[in-house]
Amino acid sequence: MAGLAGSLPGLRPAEPGEFTRRAFRRGKLDLTAAEGLGDLIRAETEAQRRQALRQMEGELGRLYQRWSETLTQALAHLEAYIDFSEDDNVEEEVLSRVDATVRALEQEIGAHLQDGRRGELVRGGVHAVIAGPPNVGKSSLLNLLCQRPAAIVSPVAGTTRDVVEVALNVGGYPLVLSDTAGLRDATDPVEQEGVTRARDRVQQADLVLAVLDATAVLPEPVGMEAALGSLLPPTTATPCILVLNKADLLRGGEETLLRDTCAQGGSPTALLSCKTGEGLDQLLALLAQQLARLCGDPLAGSPSLTQSRHSLHLGACVAALARYGRERDLALAAERLRLARRHLGRITGHVGAEDVLDIIFRDFCVGK
Amino acid sequence: MMLRSSWRRLALPQVPPPAPRPGRRRAGSDAGAAGAPRYEVVVIGGGHAGTEAAAAAARGGARTLLLTHRIDTIGAMSCNPSFGGIGKGQLMREVDALDGLCGRVCDRSGVHYKVLNRCKGPAVWGLRAQIDRRLYKEHMQKEILNTPLLTVREASVEDLLLTEPETDRPGKCRVTGVVLGDGSTVHAGSVILTTGTFLRGMVLIGLEMHPAGRLGDQPAIGLAQTLEKLGFTMGRLKTGTPPRLTKDTIDFSGLEERVADNPPVPFSFLSEAVWIKVMLMAIDCCRYCPSFESKVLRFPNREHQVWLEPEGLESNVIYPQGMSMTLPPELQEQVIKSIPGLEKAKILQPGYGVQYDFLDPRQLTASLESRLVQRLFLAGQINGTTGYEEAAAQGVIAGINACLRVHGKPPFVISRTEGYIGVLIDDLTTLGTNEPYRMFTSRVEFRMSLRPDNADARLTHRGFEEAGCVSQQRYEQAVKMKAALEDGIATLKSLQFSISKWSQLLPEVSISSSRRSPVSAFDILRYPEANMELLARAVPEPLGKLAEWRQLAERLKIEVAYEWCVVNQQQEIEEVRRDEALRLPEDIDYFAIDASLSTEVREKLDCNRPQTIGAVSRIPGITPAAIVNLLRYVKTNHQKSEMPKALPQTGRYLPGKMYSEKATSERQISAEFSEEEPEHTFVKTPL
Repeated sequence: MAGLAGSLPGLRPAEPGEFTRRAFRRGKLDLTAAEGLGDLIRAETEAQRRQALRQMEGELGRLYQRWSETLTQALAHLEAYIDFSEDDNVEEEVLSRVDATVRALEQEIGAHLQDGRRGELVRGGVHAVIAGPPNVGKSSLLNLLCQRPAAIVSPVAGTTRDVVEVALNVGGYPLVLSDTAGLRDATDPVEQEGVTRARDRVQQADLVLAVLDATAVLPEPVGMEAALGSLLPPTTATPCILVLNKADLLRGGEETLLRDTCAQGGSPTALLSCKTGEGLDQLLALLAQQLARLCGDPLAGSPSLTQSRHSLHLGACVAALARYGRERDLALAAERLRLARRHLGRITGHVGAEDVLDIIFRDFCVGK
Repeated sequence: MMLRSSWRRLALPQVPPPAPRPGRRRAGSDAGAAGAPRYEVVVIGGGHAGTEAAAAAARGGARTLLLTHRIDTIGAMSCNPSFGGIGKGQLMREVDALDGLCGRVCDRSGVHYKVLNRCKGPAVWGLRAQIDRRLYKEHMQKEILNTPLLTVREASVEDLLLTEPETDRPGKCRVTGVVLGDGSTVHAGSVILTTGTFLRGMVLIGLEMHPAGRLGDQPAIGLAQTLEKLGFTMGRLKTGTPPRLTKDTIDFSGLEERVADNPPVPFSFLSEAVWIKVMLMAIDCCRYCPSFESKVLRFPNREHQVWLEPEGLESNVIYPQGMSMTLPPELQEQVIKSIPGLEKAKILQPGYGVQYDFLDPRQLTASLESRLVQRLFLAGQINGTTGYEEAAAQGVIAGINACLRVHGKPPFVISRTEGYIGVLIDDLTTLGTNEPYRMFTSRVEFRMSLRPDNADARLTHRGFEEAGCVSQQRYEQAVKMKAALEDGIATLKSLQFSISKWSQLLPEVSISSSRRSPVSAFDILRYPEANMELLARAVPEPLGKLAEWRQLAERLKIEVAYEWCVVNQQQEIEEVRRDEALRLPEDIDYFAIDASLSTEVREKLDCNRPQTIGAVSRIPGITPAAIVNLLRYVKTNHQKSEMPKALPQTGRYLPGKMYSEKATSERQISAEFSEEEPEHTFVKTPL
């Protein structure tokens, strides 16, 4: 059938994304909706699919559009105050209304930005890093989780040099898991580089799986925290799951003691044996719980920020709104609002001077 | 005499300067000569656009003729007795920076100066003054009738002389002169139309209508028909003026008075002070709430305000600003009497409306030349604007360009990034208008950089170098000021003390910084309560000399306050300039080109005829995708043809060319001195 259709003159298969591009060019889809459709096609997990669908239906676009309209109106009223208040009939109260609108908008966009990059995490996947001292079984953990030998494992400490990355679907949430070189003061230059990369990854991670050798940690909370502290940068607020591997090597009494200590510790902890697979279910449950917390429910609440492009412009927009309140010179204050609107316009589309004037003439009794 | 210096300086020694012919020059002197008189530039209309256009063309070195119905109405302020305002004051400063007339004439006729928006930041200050109508007209006529190279003649213009177009640019014909009411003709290199409200003008008072360009003046009907026949897209606009009241019948006791600024801020960069020493005038304001006409129909429950403006120092006439109306006279009286303070006011002349033809300004290029008829320029209300200042701004640009066109030089265009004039003309020629277009600061993207205080720094050097319309004296003054500003900023930046030292020196300024490193005087001047006077008192050496020059001190303060903003805007200005540099072919057929554009977009492009990609992006309804597609099309198909259209070819554009070989070769040697060369040509023409 496809072959037959293709043989007709003037007919050809559509190129990838061609219909979307046409719809966008003809103005049937706005930019955020087009971005949403792109995400939907690439969606691999349930959470990603739900979020993309929501964005494609234009919900995020509508939220941004509403902000854009609010901001444009505030700006128009301020411009009216500048251009007409001395000659025509623009009341002094206009200014205080604009101030209030700008403050409310600043808070609302600020709160949206504070959502912990949930939308972005769902879209791009939560980046989790397996970190720990050498030879504790980090690569074994990666292989166990992805159920294939993605990373080379050997009894020799320092086997993993580079970062190994796999994408996983845990409980419907996307997870990008990286295995890193064991953290130690290496002498081999290649291993040194691997350790540097591992530390970088830990810095940037959304979630850290800190792996320790269960037989090597002291069964006391203090000892465990100390071991963790050596792995993680001191000031980090990154959520962390502590994985105590090689549980199969523990003796009965030690295991009980360790389990008790784990229950008292600050971080969620899993006792695992990569060799036997025991404790895997508990680890997966812990992972899913962390992922749900990081990603949130894509269907609940206001639509989330899905692109770092959006968060960049919204950040600049909020910064400009914040400075608005600090300007004494009204022309400078208006400039801050113009800047804020330009940043929002990069997401929702351009707003010209004519649109501002339309609002001025609609809302005020001015002109010749 | 000062005006002459700019073109005189450029004259080559072997070319005899034309005999100066000051004073009123009438056509009578031409009558004895054989053939029709010939001018380089002919201006039709003696209003605010026409006077500026004629004077600018003459300053640029073009032998110019101004045609008007009545010489005694030149410089008439037909509507409000004031100049300037928010946005309009900026335009006036820019006109002045190009050595235009209205700012200088105002400074000799103003009776009540008041800068609007004083508390809102210097970028949006609105220089404004009440002007004595009689004095303004008197000074403007004196200026016009004494401008070298400018002849003034009373005549009506009925038709245009047309011929085949130049083939190197679009246009279906070329104008070569005008036909006057008596049937005689005048030849011209360029023609500027500034007919204001006179094209098929119709005055309305109540339900009565009669043909007139202004109350008591004949409309231009023949010219309107000519333009229509040529295929210009025309529209109809309406404007109005309020009734005039007798001053001594008004009870001012309950009204608010607006006090004039002391000292007044002059319009012109050349004016140290204004002519008037003691301000005797007062403008009063009353608020009213009756329900009438469009304002009240749209906003019925609000209070409206009326400004009672005196028409002159010795005048007994009051102009109630904000009361423009075309009601029947009996009703006008009722409305006026319902306003507090005006219960007994006597109407001297009823308010009236004027309906008139305007030409869709999208038919013009950015130099205000018509695309349809080559060498025909349009300025003022004929392009759909309202206001003296908007008219004057277009007049200067049309005058400069009509002159440059005759002299075979590239057009003088002010970009949106350079001035309010640029925004005004770009808006008109790209977007058109369907109501009288008025200038607002909100139309201007780069408001923080395009301020009233720095118009000379932005435009005077360009006017001098490219247009030749600026006097040597003004140019030198602008150069001196620019150097002093740069020098002053360098001094301020290099003078550094610790925070504690500054706090001790300037207890008046609350310096809130925890910085350890030294802070410069530049940073201190940023504080709202700081100024040059305070700084100079604290550190007389080296700041004392900066504070002594009052204008410099004020401008330094403004430069410092806006520095970050101007720096931030630079990048954006560059972006806009890049887009403006991407020129579109003039003759592109938007319906035929093979680019992915919707029919709607094609129609818009065809209708607006944008000249640059920058202009395309400002047309409402043009999607970013359409811009990209158009850009791609133009880049692949038109790259080769982009180059030659920038400059008109010199030497073969004048009818009956009379260059000697010598003159032509001189032109090639000194391209930038070619202004006097057509002079040379015209010395031989019978004038």
